[in-house]
Amino acid sequence: MSASAASSTNATTGSAMIADLWTWRILKWVVAICVAIVAVFPIWWMINVVFADPGVPVSINPRLYPTSLHSGLSKIYTILAETEYLRAYFITIAYALLTILGVLFIGSMAAFEFALFEFPGKRVLFGMVMLSLMVPTVVTIIPTYLLVAELGWLNSMQGLVVPGLASAFGLFMLVQFMRSLPMEMIEAARLDGASHFKIYWYIALPLSKNAMVTLAILTFMRTWGNFAWPLIVAPKPEVYTVGQVVGLFNAPYSHQTVDVVMTANLLAVVPPLIFFLIFQRKIVEGIAMSGTKG
Amino acid sequence: MIASTCRAAILAASVSLLGAGAVSAQELQYWVYSDFAQGDALKLQEQFISEFETANPGVKIVISGRGDDDLTSGQVAGAASGTVPDVFMNGLAVGAQLVDVGALANIYPEWMAMPQEFRDQFDADAIKSCSPKPETMYCIPYTGFGEIMYRNLTVLEAAGIDTKTPPATWKEWYDQMVKVKASGKFAVPDQTQVFNSVASMYAIQGDKAKWGIDFASKKTLIEQEPMARTLQMFIDMAPLQSGTSRNDQATKDLFITNQLAFHVVGPWVNPSYEQAAKESGLKYDYVLVPGGTAGDHGGIKSYEIVGVAPGPNKAIAWKFAAYITEKKQMARWAKLLSRYNANAAAMKDPDVAALPLIEKSVEAVKYAVDVMPPYFAGTVPNCYRTAMTDMASAAADGQYKAEDGAKELIANLNECLQK
Amino acid sequence: MNPTRHLPHYAMILPFAVLFAAFFLYPIVSGFYYSFHDWNAATAPRFVGLANYQSVLSSRDFARAMTNLFNYIVITVPLGIAVAFGLALLVDSFTGAWANFFRSVFFLPVVLPAFLAATIWRWMYAPNFGLVNMVLGWFGVASVNFLNDTGKMLYALIAVDIWVSAGFNMVILLAGLKNIPQDLYEAARLDGASRINQVRYITIPMLSPVLFFVITYGFISALQVFDVPWLLTGSSFTAYGGRRSALLFPVMDMMGRAFGSVHFGEATAYGFILTAIIILVTAAMFALRRWRTPK
Repeated sequence: MSASAASSTNATTGSAMIADLWTWRILKWVVAICVAIVAVFPIWWMINVVFADPGVPVSINPRLYPTSLHSGLSKIYTILAETEYLRAYFITIAYALLTILGVLFIGSMAAFEFALFEFPGKRVLFGMVMLSLMVPTVVTIIPTYLLVAELGWLNSMQGLVVPGLASAFGLFMLVQFMRSLPMEMIEAARLDGASHFKIYWYIALPLSKNAMVTLAILTFMRTWGNFAWPLIVAPKPEVYTVGQVVGLFNAPYSHQTVDVVMTANLLAVVPPLIFFLIFQRKIVEGIAMSGTKG
Repeated sequence: MIASTCRAAILAASVSLLGAGAVSAQELQYWVYSDFAQGDALKLQEQFISEFETANPGVKIVISGRGDDDLTSGQVAGAASGTVPDVFMNGLAVGAQLVDVGALANIYPEWMAMPQEFRDQFDADAIKSCSPKPETMYCIPYTGFGEIMYRNLTVLEAAGIDTKTPPATWKEWYDQMVKVKASGKFAVPDQTQVFNSVASMYAIQGDKAKWGIDFASKKTLIEQEPMARTLQMFIDMAPLQSGTSRNDQATKDLFITNQLAFHVVGPWVNPSYEQAAKESGLKYDYVLVPGGTAGDHGGIKSYEIVGVAPGPNKAIAWKFAAYITEKKQMARWAKLLSRYNANAAAMKDPDVAALPLIEKSVEAVKYAVDVMPPYFAGTVPNCYRTAMTDMASAAADGQYKAEDGAKELIANLNECLQK
Repeated sequence: MNPTRHLPHYAMILPFAVLFAAFFLYPIVSGFYYSFHDWNAATAPRFVGLANYQSVLSSRDFARAMTNLFNYIVITVPLGIAVAFGLALLVDSFTGAWANFFRSVFFLPVVLPAFLAATIWRWMYAPNFGLVNMVLGWFGVASVNFLNDTGKMLYALIAVDIWVSAGFNMVILLAGLKNIPQDLYEAARLDGASRINQVRYITIPMLSPVLFFVITYGFISALQVFDVPWLLTGSSFTAYGGRRSALLFPVMDMMGRAFGSVHFGEATAYGFILTAIIILVTAAMFALRRWRTPK
């Protein structure tokens, strides 16, 4: 009795362990798939709202899948034809590209110094920049706006771009990366008589390519998603960004119903989404890097 | 001191580096509501502009549309930096604030310099709202509204309500709401969420002459007893409403998809409903908002305004503002949008007067309460509006009885004004 | 030690330093100046001493915004990180293509600009028409008014918040997980440690620097929460914070005071109060870390 009881407990623990392993595996998949659905569904739903005939009640068409390709295309066509969406695309891309170039160039020069060399005042300067990461942007947004206005830069590309070039986040990220550059190579180049700028240009920059690409992508995401700054600094329709055009559709008094609003939203999502699909590894690595080396 | 030196240095450096990005003196920035910068409305505005540009060579007008909020924040921020748009629209209720920040010029001299014939075109009361004291005028009243009640006839009929005669009193209206709810649909949007809808409900039960602020003594004019009656309506409506505010796009969607029976709001919603009627067979009409007693009506009224900024472009900006508000333009504008406006002469144009929405609006304005009087007397602080909507919501949530709520609300309003 | 030796260094940081001074330091200084003045941008600033700070600190909205912020942070920071951590462990337990697949999918919401995420969710939450209520309806749950029922609004916000940010934190934690040497787990397994104990005694301690970053960053961004509640409540500069100010947060209050009531002095003072709080919290986090690490 006792022996059989013992053996049966043994058996149950053994089978329980196997069952455990199985439940764990199945559970893992179930949870992962559920989370994936939650993550993706809102975006999927937005697409369905666009590609559905408007006015059909939810009880008849719950918008769980696209139902009318024609209706969606005609909405997209209407928006592209009747609003300045294409121009806004162009402006936003120019805004993003110029910001990326500026942030990379200015940031990498400064990061090169902060990461690899000692000079008087370095700690104070760097500390100040790092402290600025903690200051909410809303504190500076109004005085910065006034400054830009005084410079006569309202409604201009430089007004959009220049104030964002000294990116503390970009500097931080590049410094983190450049700290691991091989000092021996730099010393060797110096002994060969290379000038300071040449060392930066021919050695540090090529070695930092990975971090630079990552920063470029993150900067793109940020500029594309920037809503408040273009809104106040570029209020002329000729310089509207995508965010502002979307804002027009979302304004409570615009005569728009959900499907048209979602069409405008969908068009704004497309570029970052494509960007993500192409560069996802870089994006993910970049974010991981900024976090794990902090 | 250091700050200004530094600023000057940066300014000097940037000018020498990049050259001044000065705008040509004859380019006028013209800001309108976002719905006026879309579709057919935009086409007509562009036509006005091109007519004006032909008559005034060398002038270029840049129109841009933005939502209510962006209009105000853009004008305020613009005033701070000397870059207010030259001609712009906004609501009458924001006027005092725009004067405070220096965004609105006093256009009285220009107004008086216009021929008598032009000045006589406008609704006298509307002009009065723009002129708080003698020799002062801050705006030309533009489009206006008196609230109307849109009714979804499909929902009402399904609830077994006779739609031939609209509800005349609050009591009749409320009875219909209860029936709608019993049929499984929403009766009204949540009227407690927006200051304007609270005002609109007050106009049904309250004392219309006492809806406002005495800026001299910094006290609200609202009295406890009528306010208590208003709060009681919110308490009664609480189980019947949709939970969306009257301005939510979701509210429009509920109405269009036959889930909502009544929507009390301005005429700007009509284009959406008209389109839905064509596309998905929405059956609706609009009637006057019921009143406390038969023959009276609730709802609010107000005007959108056209303002001119002070500065070097003021003269030509005024000329443009006067052009777009002149009878011919206002009549074309009214015809296109079916929107009532302050140009009384244009409203008398037989083609315009015959438009049903305008007819109804003209009637609604007679009864409605001004949304935030007195205009241009002082800036209504944010806390005033918040206190109002907060108490309406709290009462609807069952946290206050109507009488206690009204008493507390008036104390809160006065406290807010005295700050 | 000749000073010219350092010149090339300064030359290289000059562009950054100039732009940083002009578009960060100068605005801070002038903002600080305005915070002691009554200023509506039209008339000349009038010195008022500490009155702006006083009126912010004593206002009802400030108290409400701070209470909301506290309730929000207490839930969203730990929960958000717990979810992100769970997701990281989950992805880590897959290998090869599936790991990549799930990582990308979980990360997808991060790609959306915040203003779009909020607009989409505003519709998802809509009573009747919205997807969330539709799904609840399948299970027989009556329509919930997520964005207007004062008891539920905060949770609705937190859900969106976690939806948007979990992928971001997950990626950072995942990278941290990959850096933990596998032999530690081998050793633990030989000692018969359970899966949960492995997480507790190996994963979390080894991950602590990364966790520290994620928590600190989470705090700082939560303290500045703005666009999502602003858009979820359909706020405007004249009326913001949602029904009965249930989703009123400090930065929203500050923006309202600037562009709604045109009290730029008061708004900048508000900004400095917030900044002080943020710096205090961050300093406390660093102190806590320093105190913990020697053990």
